[in-house]
Amino acid sequence: MSLYEILGTLETGFIFGIVALGAYLTFQILDFPDLTVEGSFPLGAAVAATLIVGAGWNPWLATLGGGVAGFVAGFATAMLNVRFKILHILAGILLSISLYSINLRIMSGPNKPLLMVDTVFTSFEGFGMPGYIINPIFLGIMVLVIKLLLDAFLATGWGISMRAAGANPAMAEANGVNVGNMKLYGVGTANALTGIAGALFAQIFGAADAYMGIGVIIVGLASVIVGMSILPSRTIFLATLACLMGATLYRFAVALALNADFLGFQASDVQLVTALLVAIALIAQQSGSFKTILRKGSRK
Amino acid sequence: MIELSEVHVTFNKDTPLETRALRGVDLNVPKGQFLTIIGSNGAGKSTSLNVIAGHTKLEVGHVKIDGQDVTNWPVYKRSKMLSRVFQDPKMGTCEDLSILENFALAHGRTRPRGFRYAVGSSMRDEAAEQLKILGLGLEDRLNDKVGLLSGGQRQAVSLLMAATGDTKVLLLDEHTAALDPKTAEFVLELTKKIVDDLKLTAVMVTHSMAQALHTGERTIMFHRGKIVFDAGGAERDNMEVADLLELFKREQGEELTDDALLLG
Repeated sequence: MSLYEILGTLETGFIFGIVALGAYLTFQILDFPDLTVEGSFPLGAAVAATLIVGAGWNPWLATLGGGVAGFVAGFATAMLNVRFKILHILAGILLSISLYSINLRIMSGPNKPLLMVDTVFTSFEGFGMPGYIINPIFLGIMVLVIKLLLDAFLATGWGISMRAAGANPAMAEANGVNVGNMKLYGVGTANALTGIAGALFAQIFGAADAYMGIGVIIVGLASVIVGMSILPSRTIFLATLACLMGATLYRFAVALALNADFLGFQASDVQLVTALLVAIALIAQQSGSFKTILRKGSRK
Repeated sequence: MIELSEVHVTFNKDTPLETRALRGVDLNVPKGQFLTIIGSNGAGKSTSLNVIAGHTKLEVGHVKIDGQDVTNWPVYKRSKMLSRVFQDPKMGTCEDLSILENFALAHGRTRPRGFRYAVGSSMRDEAAEQLKILGLGLEDRLNDKVGLLSGGQRQAVSLLMAATGDTKVLLLDEHTAALDPKTAEFVLELTKKIVDDLKLTAVMVTHSMAQALHTGERTIMFHRGKIVFDAGGAERDNMEVADLLELFKREQGEELTDDALLLG
C-alpha cells in the first residue's frame, strides 16, 4: 500500500469510527440491534448534500443537519419498537427501506454530486497541506472528540440510566428509569452519529448516493466486534477506543484484501469481503482463537 | 400507606390458560408497618407485590400509595415512592455498572438525574459509609463492577440501594430465598435493621411460615387469589407454624399441602 492509500484508508476508517460509536451505543449499551443505520447513513449524506448544493447552507451546519435527520430516523425506529411493540430488528428494516425512497425524494434522484461547492474539507485548504494529509488528521481529531463526548455522557446521570436500561431493564425501571425513553433517545443519538458520518462521507467523496448505505450496519458491527476482541474493554473509555481501533483496522483489512493480487478480488467484491471478514471475526471470537492468532502475529 | 381495593387480576384472559391470580383483594398497610405475606405457589402473593409495584395490570380495582391513586402509573413513575428487592440477586443490581454507579442509579430514583456526572465525591463518601455497615469490605471496592460480587453481596447491596433516597415503601420479593442459610440470615437481619432505622413501610413476600411470623408486625396469607388470614399484635406474637396450619385447615376446610411452605 502506498502512503496515499494508507491515508485514504485512515480517512474512511475514521468516518466509520463514528458509525462504530453509534453501533456501540445501540448494540452494546442499549442491547438494541439497530438496522436503521443502513438508511440513516445515506440520509445524512442526502440531507447534507441537498442543503449545501440546493439551499447553499454552510457545510458545517449542513453536516449537523444530516445528524438531526439521522436522529429523527433512529427515534422513529425506537418509537415503532417501544410504543407499537414491533420487533426491534423489523422496525429498523422498515425504517431503512422507507428511507431509501425518502432519500431519493430528498435528492430528487439517485445521487447528488458535491462538485465545485464548499464542503467542510475545503475549510482546511489554507493550511498549506494537501487534502489527503489534512483530511485524515481533521477526521481523526473529530472522531476522538465525539468519542470523548460519548464517554462523558455515559458517565452522567442520564448515561448510567441508559446503560442500566440496556443491561438490566427491570432493575432500571425499579430505579425510576423510563426504559422506553432511553431507547428513543439512545437509538436516536446513535443514528445522529451515523447521519453525521454519512454527511462527511459524501463530502469527502464528492457525492451523496442512495446506495451508499448498503453494508453500513455490517461495517459498524464489525468494527465493534473486531475492536472488542483485540482490546479488552473493562471501562467505557477503553470500549469506545476499541470501537475506533476496530473501525480503522477493519478498513485496512478490507483494503489489503482488495489489494492483494493473489486473492484476485476486484473493487466490486467489497461487500463479499466485508461479510467474509465479519464471519471470520465472529467465528474466531467464538472459538477464542482470534486473540491467539493476534498474539502469535505480533511476536513475529 | 398502601391501599389495594377490590383488586382482580386475571392472566391469559379468554384463553384456555386463563388464571384468576387475584380475586378481590382488599389490603391496607398503614404507614410504618412491616407486613409479611405468605402463601403457596400460585396463591397470589407475588402477584399482589407486582400489583403494588406496577408490573401487573389490574382488571378491576385500585391501588393507592401515600394517598395517591397510582393504578395507571408505570413502574418507573411509582419507583419515586417505592423501591424493591428482587428474589434473584442478579435482578436488583446492574452487573455492568460499578458498585458506585449502581448507588448513583438508585439515588436518581427520587432525585433528578440530569447531565451532570453521576458519581461525585459526596456520592462516593455516602456509598462508602453505607457499605461499611455491611462489614463486607465493599467500601474499598467501589469501582468494581457489581458482576464480580457474590449473590449474597449483591443482595445486600440491592437492599442498601433500595433504602437510599426518600423511599417510602420497601417491597421485598422472597429476597432471601436464593441465598444460602447463613447469608439469608444476614440479609434478613439487615432488612429488619434498615426498615427499623428508616421507619419504612415494608411488604415482604416469603415462602417460609416461620420467617413470616418472626419478621415484621403483621402477617397475611394468600390462598387461591384471596387473603384468607390476617394477624397482627398479640395474637400473632403467640402464634407458631402449627397454629397457622391449624387455622388454615379450619378456615378453608382443607389441608395445606405445599411442602415448601411447611418445611420453610
